[in-house]
Amino acid sequence: MPPEVGTLSVSFFNQSATFERTWAGTRRHILDVIENGKYSHGAKVAELESALAGYTGARFVVGVNSGTDALVLLLRAAGLEPGGEVVVPAFSFGASATSVVLAGGRPVFADIEPDGYGVDPAAVAAAVGERTRFVMPTHLFSRLADIDGVLDVARRLDLTVVEDSAEAIGMRHRGTHAGLFGAGGVLSFFPTKTLGALGDAGAVLTDDARIAATADALRHHGRFGVTIADFPAISTATGLPGVNSKMDDLQAAVLLAKLTTLDSDIARRAELASRYGEALAGVAGVRKLPVHRPDSVFYVYVVEVDSRDELAAHLSARGVETEIYYPTPLHLQPCFDGLGYRKGEFPNAESACRHTLALPLYPDMPADDCDRVYDAIRGFYHGRRG
Amino acid sequence: MTLPFFPTDLFDDDRAELLDIVRRVGLAPEQKFILGERTARFEAAIRDSVGAADAVACGSGTSALTLVLRAMDVGAGDEVIVPAFGCAPLAAAPALLGATPVFADIDPWTMVVDPAEVARLVTPRTKVIMPAHMFSVMADMPELRRIATDAGVRLLEDSAVAQGGTLAGTPAGMWGDAGVYSFVQVKTFGMPGEGGMVVTRDAGLGSTVRMLRNHGQDGKSRFVYHRIGYNSRFDEIMAEFQLYRLPTLPQRLERRARIGEYYTGRFAELAGCGVLAPPPARDGRCYYVYSLLCERRDELREHLAARGIGSHVYYPAPLPRQPAFAPYTRPGDAWPAAELAARRTLAIPIYPHLTDVQVERIADAVCRFAKEP
Repeated sequence: MPPEVGTLSVSFFNQSATFERTWAGTRRHILDVIENGKYSHGAKVAELESALAGYTGARFVVGVNSGTDALVLLLRAAGLEPGGEVVVPAFSFGASATSVVLAGGRPVFADIEPDGYGVDPAAVAAAVGERTRFVMPTHLFSRLADIDGVLDVARRLDLTVVEDSAEAIGMRHRGTHAGLFGAGGVLSFFPTKTLGALGDAGAVLTDDARIAATADALRHHGRFGVTIADFPAISTATGLPGVNSKMDDLQAAVLLAKLTTLDSDIARRAELASRYGEALAGVAGVRKLPVHRPDSVFYVYVVEVDSRDELAAHLSARGVETEIYYPTPLHLQPCFDGLGYRKGEFPNAESACRHTLALPLYPDMPADDCDRVYDAIRGFYHGRRG
Repeated sequence: MTLPFFPTDLFDDDRAELLDIVRRVGLAPEQKFILGERTARFEAAIRDSVGAADAVACGSGTSALTLVLRAMDVGAGDEVIVPAFGCAPLAAAPALLGATPVFADIDPWTMVVDPAEVARLVTPRTKVIMPAHMFSVMADMPELRRIATDAGVRLLEDSAVAQGGTLAGTPAGMWGDAGVYSFVQVKTFGMPGEGGMVVTRDAGLGSTVRMLRNHGQDGKSRFVYHRIGYNSRFDEIMAEFQLYRLPTLPQRLERRARIGEYYTGRFAELAGCGVLAPPPARDGRCYYVYSLLCERRDELREHLAARGIGSHVYYPAPLPRQPAFAPYTRPGDAWPAAELAARRTLAIPIYPHLTDVQVERIADAVCRFAKEP
């Protein structure tokens, strides 16, 4: 539906202003890349890996082509065997489960907690079968999953924990950064992410030297030895069937520049989230708002509402862009038809799919836009009552 | 090296344009950075230039092979016939899908797969025949097409290195049910990042690849996954850069061909001295890499290095001899031509911005070495 005449549109995401204020750094890093002359898997990628190790505290950071690739390589490097089962939440981005299949394993779904959308540790315990070796919680939207609960179940049932921390840069608990509570985690630098590139890029995070070395080899065709920033390595013998998941140095350049303002960007996200929270608290029809916790990083601001699809249409008609993360739970996706799950099996995941709505949020979003979104939401529910 | 094998100044002249493109994409009102309008235009330009039904940009040439194999339903129990000599993805792509790479020996001179070997290895489990163009020579596609058709199997043309070549009037990539291109910087249409493309005359195959490259989504409903897909996409910065460089690609291809022809002319007299150049011709050639076969390969490499000339050994071992792929071989399998190529092959610089003087210097150095007693 086109916006009504006279309304100003509110973008869901726009990084133009962020790009502009970090351009001097981006330009300098790009000139380095041109000078160096290796445009993927080069010195700038290595520099980004070091910077991210500093930011997250990870011993090893392996830069790859996407968060999805990072999950696949992490699972393979952590020792997922063909046919091995991995417990994953029924509510997440598709790659949380398809990565298991791409790594040769089989996803087993577990329901989520209604608050925070992380996998429910009790549901993980119930889903574990004879072939289950891994659990992979996802940290969604603005906070960590119940990682202590998951770690506890994993210890009791002898599971390896790997984290889908693609959305979780900046989230910490007990001083540990997301992705580093178990064997390893990932980061995604998809453009809309808290730390976003201008294309696809991702990384594996781990403190485990063996996992890091294997992921490092797998991203460059399974070639062992140091391959980064080394042209002749394109013909080195292969030790494992690997893939090409090399990161572009131009993307590393953009990320290095944006990394310098990441903490202040996260703080700005939190301010905007507070503004939404204060305005929307108590509005009839708004069922649930995200809470502010010590681990909060507002990658996206997801609320639960009544009549979600009608509200989204109402906002769209007023020029306010929203997103639905996620409209369909993973156990009911067409690609998992063969796994035999049924509707009704994971009520929390299914309920989240009916009610969640993500509102516009990015560091350089004008505060007025927040207010416009709030006014439009309030208008929708008032109109329905009247 | 004063003349490195891998030049680091490929895009130095494009510095201003590259910075401009990054800014234009970063500040564009649509704020869409992946698989946007520029990518669509780039796909259309390549599709039309080779006469394909579809051209699908993706994350890399390697990934392009995987996407096509998946679109062809290759999986556990299937065999894919691949050359015994070549780049790792030829074997890794089928292996990672649970299929068995079956290694066919190569022609000892051109180093492309020997069609007679391919025909010998066809079994009822063969699903796909996947030849690869090597260095500067296209595989014998008419014969491989005939073998695939007779066997009722798919033909996937690994044309990652051969974009711009033609054989009997048909562009590299268009002989198979699908072909692939790679745009990593060293390739004939290289760019400052990773990327690849699938080209096909089969629109159905093309649309399956489109779905598989973006998480199995149909391009209409976000977050609904129809197939187990990949993240193998193309970004707008690279698409705009490729559109900017596409008009000058023919000049660069011609320059590569001229250098290759010059080398082949100069080296014709060395065949009796242990240095063998590729067969002379234009048809079925694409000068991505210029590889010699040398009896005293490592000595030639040192001789050139001592004169500031870089060279490179693609590939020091046949694929079935590498630890990753040895498990797919059977006792008694042998690839004598691939073994010999791995010991003798040496590639010398052929990038288009070499000057005539530099090319002569390289040719002189090779000739002097071969004629030494």
